[in-house]
Amino acid sequence: MDSLIPFTTSGSLVDCVDRKMLVVLRDGRKLQGVLRSYDQFANLVLEDTVERIYYRDFFAEAWKGLFLIRGENVVLLGEVDLDKEDDVPLRQVPWEELLPYHRQEIAAKKKREEVKAQVLFEQKGFCKEGGEGDGY
Amino acid sequence: MLPLSLLNAAQNKPMLVELKNGETFNGHLVNCDNFMNITLREVYQTSADGDKFWKLKECYIRGSTIKYLRVPDTLLDAVKEEQTRAREAGRSARGAHVSGAGNRGRGMPQRGRGAMRGGPIRGGRGRGRGM
Repeated sequence: MDSLIPFTTSGSLVDCVDRKMLVVLRDGRKLQGVLRSYDQFANLVLEDTVERIYYRDFFAEAWKGLFLIRGENVVLLGEVDLDKEDDVPLRQVPWEELLPYHRQEIAAKKKREEVKAQVLFEQKGFCKEGGEGDGY
Repeated sequence: MLPLSLLNAAQNKPMLVELKNGETFNGHLVNCDNFMNITLREVYQTSADGDKFWKLKECYIRGSTIKYLRVPDTLLDAVKEEQTRAREAGRSARGAHVSGAGNRGRGMPQRGRGAMRGGPIRGGRGRGRGM
């Protein structure tokens, strides 16, 4: 059966419709919601979406509702295993509590990348990172 | 319901548009096209850091610069209802087909493989609104 469906966006995503999916965006955001629709560009419609942030073994969720995501910005789309998700050894904490740590981590990562790029450029003869520099 | 049809159905509805550069635009959708180019009215623009704000009467956003759009939660249900109504109307106009098992999808133009699945049968393993 698998071989009958060609490897296209539409071919690979049919089975994901009406399932709870994890979407990672190019800016690093992680969204979880029910995939209701998509098209050939991998534009996605996500219902009942929550954004999740992680820090060490904590996570926090914020309710976001109905999303229409432009396909270009999607890095990853994966199904959430409902049987296993409750076994994940992470502790949920309030969003406002975790957000400062999350922001701090992003800032630190950005700093590290800048330093790395600078070293590679000055000492190793690499060219400068172009524009976005988010690795995707 | 393809993503772009949903966008079409969101005309005159409030929405939040985030651009790839992180700027956000809050406003009511005036119009859109198949490139996802959109025009909004009564817009509040927010800078990427969230520390600067602008109020715009109307604005045009090129589709290619968009990261995502957030639309009202009720939109999906509204659209589904609208489709059902249109289908019923079409059915009765053509003269009382008694609907049976093999009749699914006849009254509605069938789109891509995925489009139908979000239709009358909801749920699956997803955690929808408990329907």
